[in-house]
Formats: sequence, C-alpha cells, structure tokens
Amino acid sequence: MIIRGGIVYDPANGIYGEEMDLFIEGGRIAEEAAGPELDASGLLVMPGGVDAHSHIAGTKVNTGRIMRPDDSRMGTEPRNPVCRPCTGYTVPNCYAIGYRYARMGYTTAFEAATPIINARHTHEELEEIPILDKGALTLFGSNWTVLECVRDKDLAKLAAYVAWGLRASRGYGVKIVNPGGGEAWGFGANVKGLYDTVPNFDVIPAEIIESLAKANEMLGLPHSIHLHFNNLGKPGNYTTAIETLDLLKGVQASRMRQVVHIAHMQFSAYGGTGWKDFESKGPAIADYFNRHSHATMDLGMVLFGPATTMTADGPLEYANSRLLHAKWANCDYELEDSSGVVPLVYGRKMPINAIQWAIGLELALMTKDPWKVIMTTDHPNGAPFVNYPEVIALLMSRPKREEEIATVHELVKSRTALPTLEREMDWTDIAVMTRAGPARILGLEDKGHLGKGADGDVAVYNLRPDEIDPSRDHALVKAALAKARYTIKGGTLVARDGEILSAPPGRTYWVDAGVAEADANRLMADLKDKFDRYYSIQISNYMVQDAYISHPNVIRAGLQVREGEDRSSHALAREA
Amino acid sequence: MKTIRLSLTTEETVPIEAERISPDQMAGLELDQIKCLEAWLGNRRITLDALFSIQVEGEAQGPESTTIVLEGDFSRVKRVGERMTAGSVIAKGNLGMHAGNNMIGGDIHIMGDAGHWLGREMRGGKIVVDGDAGNYVGAGYRGERCGMRGGDIVIAGSAGAFLGEHLCGGSIRVEGNCGDFPGAANQGGSIFIGGSTHLPGAEMVKGSIIVGGHAHMLPSFVRMEDVEMEGERFVKFSGDLVENGKGEILVAETV
Amino acid sequence: MTEDVLCTFCGCLCDDLRVEVADGRVQKVRGACRLGASKIMGHDRIKTPMIREDGVLREATYDQACARAAQILLKAKRPVLYGWASTSCEADRKGILLAEEVGGVMDTTATVCHGPSILGIEEKGLAGATLGQVKNRADLIIFWGCNPAEAHPRHALRYSSNACGRFTPEGRSGRKVMVVDVRETRSAKNADKFLRLIPGTDYEVISAMRMILGGKADVVPETVAGLPKTQLVETVEIMKNARFGVIFFGLGMTHSRGRYKNVDNALSLVAELNAFTKFVVMAMRGHYNVAGIGQVMACASGYPMSVDYSRGAPYFNPGETTICDLLNRKEADAALVIAADPASNFPRSTVEALAEVPVIQIDPFENPTTLLADVVIPSAIAGVEAEGTAYRMDGMCLRLRKLVDSEFPSDEAILQRIIDNVRRLRA
Repeated sequence: MIIRGGIVYDPANGIYGEEMDLFIEGGRIAEEAAGPELDASGLLVMPGGVDAHSHIAGTKVNTGRIMRPDDSRMGTEPRNPVCRPCTGYTVPNCYAIGYRYARMGYTTAFEAATPIINARHTHEELEEIPILDKGALTLFGSNWTVLECVRDKDLAKLAAYVAWGLRASRGYGVKIVNPGGGEAWGFGANVKGLYDTVPNFDVIPAEIIESLAKANEMLGLPHSIHLHFNNLGKPGNYTTAIETLDLLKGVQASRMRQVVHIAHMQFSAYGGTGWKDFESKGPAIADYFNRHSHATMDLGMVLFGPATTMTADGPLEYANSRLLHAKWANCDYELEDSSGVVPLVYGRKMPINAIQWAIGLELALMTKDPWKVIMTTDHPNGAPFVNYPEVIALLMSRPKREEEIATVHELVKSRTALPTLEREMDWTDIAVMTRAGPARILGLEDKGHLGKGADGDVAVYNLRPDEIDPSRDHALVKAALAKARYTIKGGTLVARDGEILSAPPGRTYWVDAGVAEADANRLMADLKDKFDRYYSIQISNYMVQDAYISHPNVIRAGLQVREGEDRSSHALAREA
Repeated sequence: MKTIRLSLTTEETVPIEAERISPDQMAGLELDQIKCLEAWLGNRRITLDALFSIQVEGEAQGPESTTIVLEGDFSRVKRVGERMTAGSVIAKGNLGMHAGNNMIGGDIHIMGDAGHWLGREMRGGKIVVDGDAGNYVGAGYRGERCGMRGGDIVIAGSAGAFLGEHLCGGSIRVEGNCGDFPGAANQGGSIFIGGSTHLPGAEMVKGSIIVGGHAHMLPSFVRMEDVEMEGERFVKFSGDLVENGKGEILVAETV
Repeated sequence: MTEDVLCTFCGCLCDDLRVEVADGRVQKVRGACRLGASKIMGHDRIKTPMIREDGVLREATYDQACARAAQILLKAKRPVLYGWASTSCEADRKGILLAEEVGGVMDTTATVCHGPSILGIEEKGLAGATLGQVKNRADLIIFWGCNPAEAHPRHALRYSSNACGRFTPEGRSGRKVMVVDVRETRSAKNADKFLRLIPGTDYEVISAMRMILGGKADVVPETVAGLPKTQLVETVEIMKNARFGVIFFGLGMTHSRGRYKNVDNALSLVAELNAFTKFVVMAMRGHYNVAGIGQVMACASGYPMSVDYSRGAPYFNPGETTICDLLNRKEADAALVIAADPASNFPRSTVEALAEVPVIQIDPFENPTTLLADVVIPSAIAGVEAEGTAYRMDGMCLRLRKLVDSEFPSDEAILQRIIDNVRRLRA
C-alpha cells in the first residue's frame, strides 16, 4: 500500500510535518511498495495511536458492564456485514472497543491492570477485541510473594517472581497500584502513605516500590514500573507523588527510558487539606517533571459527563461509593490485589470536578517536554476514550479552553493556573503525546513511528495542517480526529471516514523474562507452598495457557537463553 | 384533526414492535407513507401495512391535532406512543408492553388492559387505563437511578409489581390493588393505590404513597400520627430510614 | 492418573480432581464429591444425531441435523437460544454469534436461578472477593437461603466453613457459621447459629438489620417477620464484630417473594457492613459454567443474560427477554437448547409452550427435554472430551481439560456447523 502526499508527523524520526509518501509492504513501513494507493494529499498523517493506559479487558471491566445495563444501552450500534453489534459508552462491549479506537486512528491499546490469578479472563476479553494490537500490565504491588521478598530483602527472588508472574499472566509489564493497600484492604484497611506499615507483612509501600523498580531493571524489561500512587484521589496527595518520585531518583534504568511511569497523574496532583480548600497542584507536579528525567506520566484527564471508575485501588472505590452514594462492586483477589468499580458523573458546575478537569490540562501544558506526557483519560475513569479528540482540541486551542472555562465552576479561576496558560500544543506535540511518546515509554520498538521496519499502522486525518489553525478551528480538529479519513493497521485499511471496512485480529504483546535457575528454584519452592496452603486453585491450572493468546508477540528479557540451556521462565512453567 | 385508525390483520403470536405508531411519527404523513412506516415482527423488519389495516381521516398540522385509534386486541404490539410529545392514542382494547415509553406529552387512553412497563421513563403527558396494568408501571430501566420523571398515569383496575420503581416525579394512580414493592426507591413522585399492596416505598427518599386498602409495612418506616383525608383515616409513616428517607406513606390499614 | 482435573458439575468448579483414564475411557474419579464424580464418570448418552419425523426421532447424520437446525432457526421469527451453563465459553461465544446471525434471543439458566441476583447487582453492585479470600480470612460465614451441604458438597472444605488458610489456621473451630433459611437444612444442623425465617420475609428482615446496623434499632418494631428484635440485634452484633464476614446466598433468596429485591437489599446490607468491618457477599452459582456464560455475554453484548438480537443490536429487559416470559406469552417460535434441561426445570406452562415449537437439542445426554426435541445433536462432554474455559462462582477463570478422545464433535464445532449452514442458506 502507498499513502501519497500526506503531511507526515513522525517525531521519533525527526519528521515534523513534511510532505511525503509512505510505503507499506508485508505489514511494515518500507522504502517502496506495490499495491493500492490512498490519496492523502495535504492531509495530516501520523503513526497509529498508542494508548498506554486504558481499562479495556478483564474482570473489573466486565463487572462494569454487568452492573451498568444503563450504560450498555447507550451507544448501541446494530451489526452489519463487517461489524458485530456494539453497546455501551463508558463500558463498551469488546467489539465497540476495537472499532471505536480504530475509527479515531488508534491501533494499539494496553489494559492497565490485571491480577495474575485471573489474567486468563483478561486475555479471553483481549482476544475478542478486533483490530488493535494489545497487551496487559500485571499487578504486583500487593502480592504476598512480593511483600515477603521485599521484607526479606531478596531482590533476586523478587525478580524471579516478576518474571514468573509475567509468564503466568502473559503480561507485558509491572503494574503497581496503591502498593500494600490491596493487601490491607483484604481486611478492610488501607495504607496511608509511603511509610505506613502493611498489616501482617512488616513492609512499607516505599520499600515495595523501590524493590519492584530494581527488579524491573534487573530483568531489563521493555517498560518501566507503571505506578498508581498511594493516596490517590485525596486532597493534598501531591506530596505523596513527589515523595514517591524522589524515592526512585537513584534507580538505574536498564534501557534508554524512564525508571517509573506514573499512571493518571491528574488524580495525584491535588493540594488542600480537604474538599473545602481543594486546589490544583498541577504546576508543582509539572515543575517536578521539568526538573527530573527519571519519570514519565499519563494524564488521566477528566471530562464532564458520565464515567465509570474502575481500578485496582479497592479502598479508593469503596470511599468513592460512600461519598457519592453510588452502586459499588468490589473484588479482592486471594494473595494478590484488589479492585473496585463505581459509576459517576463529572459535573462542570461541581467545584471539585471543574478543578480536576483543569489539572489534566495544566499537567500537559506546563510540562515542557511532551515526551514525558501521554494523553489519556484513564478510560473509563476520567472519560471514555472516544473523547480523546476533545482533549486534543483543548490542548491545541486557548480560545476553546477559555470558552470552556466560562461554563465551569468559577473555582477553576482561583484554584488552578489553567486560565493563565497560553501554550497551545502543535501537531508535533500531539503526535508525541499520543504516538511516539507512549510507544517509547512502553518500550514498543515497532510502534509509534514510521521509520523503515515499523509496523504499518498509520492514521490519516481529514485536516490540512498547512491550512488550518488548530487554535481557531478547534471544532474542525475535534471532528477530524474523531473519524480518521483512513486508519491502516499492519498495512490493511481498517477504517475510512468512520466506517469499519475490515476487522482483522490484532496481536497480544507479552514479556518472557529469563532468570537464574537457582533463583527460579527458590521461588518455586515458596510458590508450591503457597499453592498447597493458601490458594484456592492448583498451580497447574494457574498459568495462562497458549490457547488464550492466539496471535502472540513475545518480547524476551532478562537473562539471555544460552544454547542448550533453557533458563527462561519456560523452565519455571514446566516445573509448575 | 387527523384520525388514523389501525386494526391488526395478523394473528401471529410473535410480538410486534411498532414505535412508529405515535402522533409525532404519523402527523405529517399521508396514508401511503404511513403504510410504509417500519415495524418489526420478531426479527423481521416489515412495514405497518403488513400487520395492520390503516385508515386516515382529516388533516393535521402537527401531532397535537393527531389522534390514533387502535381497534382490537393490541396486547402483542409494543412501544406504541413511544416518545410522543402531543396528540392522542386511543386503544379500544388491550395495548402491549412499553406503551408510552419516554412519553413527553399528549395522552394515551387504553380501554382494555395495559402490558408491562407502561409509561416507562415517562416525562410528561397522561396515560389512562380502564382495565388493569402489568408490572413496572411508570418505572425506569434496569440500573438507572431515575425512571418516570413527570406526567400522570391513571389505572382504573389493578396493577402489577414494582409500580413506579425509581419514580422521580409525576403521579401514578391505581384504583384497585397493586403488586409488591410499589414506589421502590421513590425520589419524589406521588402514588395513590385505592386497594391493597405489600411493602410499599422500599428505599424511598422523597415523595408520597397513599394506600386506601391494607399494606404490610417495612420495619424501616417510623409510624407518625394518624391523618384524616376526605373522611377516611390513614396511618402516616415516614421513611425509608435505611436511606434516611423523608418519604411519606399513608395507609388505611396495616397488616 | 490425570491430576488437577476440573469438575464440571457445580459452581465450585473444583480443580483438584484426579481421574484415571484407561482404554480411552474414564475409569475412576478421585477427590470429587458424589455429584461431580457421577458427572465425570458419565452415563448412557445419545449415540447419533436424530431428526423427528412423524412424531418419531430417526437417526440422521451431523450434516443433516445441522442443516435442519439452521432451517428451523432461520424460519423462526423469534427463536430463543437457551442453556449454555454446562458447556465451555468457547461454545458460548459461538452461540452468541449464532444468535446474532439468526436474530434470536439468547438466554441462560441464570433465568431460573440467579437471574434475580444479576438484577440486584444492577441496582447496587456487589462487594465481592475470590473464594481464596474467604478461605484465608473469613471468621464469620453466613449461608442465606442456600444449603451447600447438599448442593455444593465440597464448598465447606475447600473454600469456606472448614477451610484452613493463612489467617484462619484453626479452620472450622476458629469460625462462626450461621445459616439463615426457612427450614432446618443439613447445613443449618452443622451451623453454630440458625436463624429461621418465615418464607417470603427476607426483605423485611434485611431492612431491619440495616436499621439496626445504622443505629436506628429503636425504630424497628419488637417483632419483625415473626422474629424477635433481640435476635436480629444479636445477629447484627455478630456481623459487626467479625474480622471478615461473608454472606453466601442461594435460591432461597432469589426464588422467594421479593426475588431480586431480596438480593438488592442484601447487597446494600453488605456494603453498609463495610463501614464497620470487612464483609463480602457471593452468589452460590449452580451450574459449573453459568458464571462463564454471564461473563462471555457481558463482554460480547454488554449484558450477562436475556439478550434479544432480533433487531440487530442487543436489547436487554428481563421480564420481557427472558425465556420463561417468552414461552409463557407464546412469543418464541423455535428454541435451541444446549447444555440445559428446561423440560425438567421450568414451570409447567412454559414446558407446554416449548412442546409446541420446534426444538433443537445439543447435549451429550438424553434428558426430558429430548422428548420435546425435533432435532437432537449429541456432543462431546466439555471437560472430559473437549477442552475449554469455565468460570467459577467467584469469577475465577479456569481451563477445562480434555481427558479422552471422542468421536463426538464438541458443542463449539456443532454450533459452528449450524452457523455455516445458516450462512449458506441465507446466501
């Protein structure tokens, strides 16, 4: 396939709005190609979008669907010759997820959190999502084995567990949510900060985070640890954010990337001491990111309207449900983590929500380097992903922001810096924040760029970047980004002007990391004991089987496999 | 005034969904166009004239001067009058489920019995039933906090269970008995039940329920003073206290 | 001996069975309860596909049977595809696709079981946990309207009353077990405390408990549903003082007067108990994969059961799109029944209605529904002869093993053949 004459933004390769042809051969970007030609003359062209943090598959996502028939009945689309039927807005069904991302020009999305024990469910659902390439991040922050390794200061065994856990869950990276809190929530408690002892385990969250970061780097995993701070959602929690970030300053990255990626930073950028004096600390957080290079963030932007909060931060969801008097689902996973789901609506006249909305924008606009910031809404916690064009339009247009500010609660003016911010992002910034940046942060070498050999994932938008002014024409920007002119995935045209033309299956990325046999053996002895005594399922039924990953894309990490000596976690699995 | 008469020409027991039978949908159309309006017979998409014989008399500017008359037993015809804003629907016999769904204005008169989910999520207008009504009169959709928000429903006979569940506004009047749990999660509407019922007002926070016959009350309602209304004595209750509710229930006789 | 085999009977989905296979057959099952063992040992099964002609079932080939099934479904204006709870998720997904293609209504055995629980969850959510959490932490276990001693025999030992865990090393002696029911069942006899309810009063009793929990005991009458308030106060105290409490509930709650409102109220009670201590709640699912069909349907359609595809997009309205209601109103004009036995389990009027329409049955075993069937298609037994996925009552997703080869095609394969025939006939 040939894409002619587009105005290409490929920041990873130093291309900032050049008119050029793109060639895709064998599913990859090439120097020349045969095949059908798409006319993209003068139109905006970017790599396919990469969503590094979204809740798209697994138990909590499905619980959201089950408890919200009121949401499922929104966004109903009947089947057609190409598409299965779609339902849902904040909790779309699996087919809607694939089609709706593709319509926006996104081609890769990662599930933000799966427990190991029920990763099979996560993969069952990922398999059903059409078109997208995908993966899932595996939860480690409250697992008993992690807590014990941290308590015993046994980093080698911890790394062995991480490698084993990734294989057991076919996960892509290490996810940490309110570390220690998931275990405390097992008896209804929580941890109050980095130095609060996790009951029954004699460790503190600071140690858990540090140890997992080191284990992550010992294994040389493609992604860094992906962290949801303690105290998320609480007024004044920005201090926890900064304290935690400082903790990790000294950790050595094993690859050319950050040492920690912060999930949905907006929810942890709060000042004040309570809801009455609640205020934004977006500027302070942005300032921190400006002065340090070991961390990246995704926004977790809030937009007004319905949302469904769903997170592994079980105690947070319980608190949300009591505050809002809303329906509440909870699931705690034995020996592992917790989770909760609570529907809500963000109101533009609600002071707290208005400030939250502003914070997401502040973080993006005040962090100088767009490579440190991924644009997300923590779908569906902040807003459904179909609203990404709204976020982008806001980032690119000060007039649009001013229009919005005039309609939201006035506390935005006194409690946030948003009204003063003049910066308007350009297409390079956007291409970085939605493509090149997330790919690099996740460690996906063939995504987020259009260099030779990259995956043939391309988005063409019905916008002329040389002719329009995104600041003034923000409505055009929003409309154009909502329906790509062409979405190409792996060299196949999957969407055109909002219509899905083809729905091939995508691939599932997961990481297979190798560790030293001695450490693996020590780990297995411990795990066998846990399965004998504590788990309610057998170890031989625990690991996610090949049948659940029909199109795998395996990234190897950790110890290199030497000829004749299989030290990968395959060996661990066989022993199990 | 434009009058459109429909009578069923099919004896299929597979249900018909005919949300196009509504003054808003039909007001501006000629007979030929009305005949071609879409309806569903189970999973078959067809046109109205495949199921009904249709006659049109008179002219109308808009729905407010449009009357639809349904002749015969329409118990299997669902969603009649859905989203109507004005005008009248008169069912000379029974009318099927979901009559007056999301109604905004106008009126529906059912001379026979009404199917389940009468006036679901209604916002305005009036529905009168000469016979009985099914379950979920003036109720909401599963999982929604608010169901009916306005309008009036009057039932001469009796009604089924879950009447006015998640009621947020408007009024429902049943002269006869009512099934279990009327006014569950009532957030501000009024319900009158001439006859008897069981466990009214569960999780109610606002609004009122009057029961002319007897009712078994929940233990989470506090008994207040007795009240007289139109020569009748009622026991007044306040609750549902599990929700710190300040709803009011008047019951002629507690059991 | 094959180890760690999953049982395919009840919602416990025990995964520690040991099965001896020899000569291509299951010879012995060890570690299962008698319900599970008898399921896996199997019994007489349907030998070939059959099509009913002149009132008599005659042998047919799979091709003929699948073609006839497709014809029946395509001809129908409101076919219902029912069952799904005792087969694999892979088969369930094919069923959904088939329902979409023929514009039918997809419903599951939850409709006569824990359907009301789903409706309760739609109102209130559900504060849950996996069974291993109960095993390791629970010091108070309440069985409400269920009788695990008979319906879920290994539940107590593997997961609940008698299980030992990290924080519960004493097992049964370190716990309090309470049963709430309308009669003294075997489970009640083994409990520390038995609260006997008058049938149909669950809702009021739960409201009274919520009042007491909320500090409003003085408003509650001295007797509630025949129970003295003091007894309810005592019960609530026990709940509040638990370190980790759990309510397991069953058909006693879902099938008695109040139905989904009972569950709704219980879910609120548990949510409110969390202000005092850790408390979770769980439905005692009956069939081994009824939770699975719910998960698969929710993922594919947004709703866990009772989905009407007749207009091309999922429509969900229990009471309208549930199979018993469809049959009672004579709305359904054809039925595909798989991995279920409605003739045995449904109310009589609905069975009579089922008898009047063409019925396709897919099942390894003959059952009373076979007497109504017009097309019978024997399948491989999931979990014995076919691999696949199933979900336990607490939502844990596990993989069924294939123990022996079989000449019978799997449910999944049969459904695919029917789909192929539907497409061929349509073209």
